[in-house]
Amino acid sequence: MIADDDLPPEDPAAALRLIDEQRASAARQFEPDPRAYYWPWGLAWLIGFGLHFLYFSPGDAPLVDMPSWLPLTTLFVLLTAAAVFTAVAGAQAYGQVTGESARRGAWYGWSWGLGFLTLFVIAGRVSDSLPSDLVGLLWSALAVGLTGILHMAGGAIWLDRRLFLLGIWITVVNVLGVIAGPGWHALVVAVAGGGGMLLAGTLGWLHRKGRP
Amino acid sequence: MTELDPVIHAQARLRVVATLSALPDCDQVTFPRLQEILGMTAGNLSVHLRRLEEAGYVAVTKTHRGRTPVTLIALTRRGRLAFEEYTEAIRALLAPADAKETS
Repeated sequence: MIADDDLPPEDPAAALRLIDEQRASAARQFEPDPRAYYWPWGLAWLIGFGLHFLYFSPGDAPLVDMPSWLPLTTLFVLLTAAAVFTAVAGAQAYGQVTGESARRGAWYGWSWGLGFLTLFVIAGRVSDSLPSDLVGLLWSALAVGLTGILHMAGGAIWLDRRLFLLGIWITVVNVLGVIAGPGWHALVVAVAGGGGMLLAGTLGWLHRKGRP
Repeated sequence: MTELDPVIHAQARLRVVATLSALPDCDQVTFPRLQEILGMTAGNLSVHLRRLEEAGYVAVTKTHRGRTPVTLIALTRRGRLAFEEYTEAIRALLAPADAKETS
């Protein structure tokens, strides 16, 4: 008995079309949508650090008055939401795949976890002896700096140019922000950092849509 | 058309092999996920996988994740090579056909 799908493709052109379509659709299934990876973080940075800038502004008075807990709470809530969103998108794409890339992803995840743990311990240890505007700068500069470097590392692991360039961009933006000082750092990270992530997601998405 | 690998030169198996070839080299995908991507019935997919496994093109690993049995599927090195050769053969067939277009 020969089932329909046991028949050869009609002609070489049909075979090639089938190969191309199938490979492209499989690649889409095995890789998460870049928007799901970049946009939640970009928005969290844009809004979270944006509020930070508006309240803990350069100079003496807040640019916009709001409850003092709002900027930091918003940032943490949005970052947590972004983490959950990314984890779900990642699980959908990679959850049913095992092997080397799963190990790569897991080890990379550990690097993030231990990196941020280190950061919390260091910043927590020295925060008490710093003026409050520098405490804010220390925490956000360390966190953004680590994020930039881990993006670069991720780019190296997966040979993903977009990820690597985003890492460089975040690193440069962070350093410039630190030089500019407290308040300005939040503005630069919100606009250039968050904007860079949104752009990376958009470019990745366009690239993906452009494939057959 | 005689040179084309008969194991791969069937629509369903070609789709299976092309899909698996999109996985990174040392990765495996679970049976249900592969089935979902291909939109084939479990029975149908099993039949084709068996054929590919017999040819040494596909490795099927049965393992456990916690208590749940999991079937993992990957293209073997031989399978990847066979798919590349098949694709090249198809391209070669198309190249002269482009020159003398008939309808």
